Amino acid sequence: MPTTIITGRDVSFTIAGASYNAQATSAVLTVDSTINTYQTLSGKAYATTDTQGTFAVEMLADWGAASSLCESLWTAATSAPNTGLSVIFGADSGASFAFDVQPIQPSAGGTAPDAQTVSLSFTCVTTPVLTIS
Amino acid sequence: MTTIAANVRQPLATALAGVGASVYAAPPEALIAPAAIIMPGSPYLESTIIGKDKVRVKINLMITGAVAYNANSGALDNLEKLMIDILGAMPNGYEVGDVTRPGVTTVGTGNFLTADLSVATYYTQDN
Repeated sequence: MPTTIITGRDVSFTIAGASYNAQATSAVLTVDSTINTYQTLSGKAYATTDTQGTFAVEMLADWGAASSLCESLWTAATSAPNTGLSVIFGADSGASFAFDVQPIQPSAGGTAPDAQTVSLSFTCVTTPVLTIS
Repeated sequence: MTTIAANVRQPLATALAGVGASVYAAPPEALIAPAAIIMPGSPYLESTIIGKDKVRVKINLMITGAVAYNANSGALDNLEKLMIDILGAMPNGYEVGDVTRPGVTTVGTGNFLTADLSVATYYTQDN
């Protein structure tokens, strides 16, 4: 089997239907499992009791731009803070994850010489579902 | 179809037109001082954005300020004024970095006192 390499350039995602490809520099979906360990008479037994997904996004800020993604996130988080936002996250063509995240407000501002950036860490409110095509 | 020359370097040169110097959107064959020359930086093009639906790159540029190198104090004063003017004329959408230590550059038979201002912006290729 030949070596397969996919990179961050293969990543793409949408939040609430809006593509972030033009602004995002990094996007990582992580699912942490809570694993309980039991000592039994025949040895250790393991049971996964919970999972929690986190979706981390690094992006260039676009406050003030037409159809600003930062402003959309801010508005969603302030107007409907308990309504999940749907995310479609593609790690590569043919492998995409669908899940909802709790809306959060992006940061604003930055250092003088650099482009303003936003770091977002979304909590997944549904379990990511992998679709392989 | 967009190009870096037409959509990045030339608009930047236009924005710098008011600095009171010859502005070149590309390295010129001959230099008329005072001058502001838009040069490629290093690395020149960086792929920093996710996705492959379009080519999106960060473009690192240098704006070289050049003044006639006749008398040390006068040349340095002129170069400082030129670089301050360039900093003041930088348009929105650019990361504006540092100005390097001045040095003497020979172009043809002329000596120029020069310094480089590093700037960067982002570019999306539209076909």
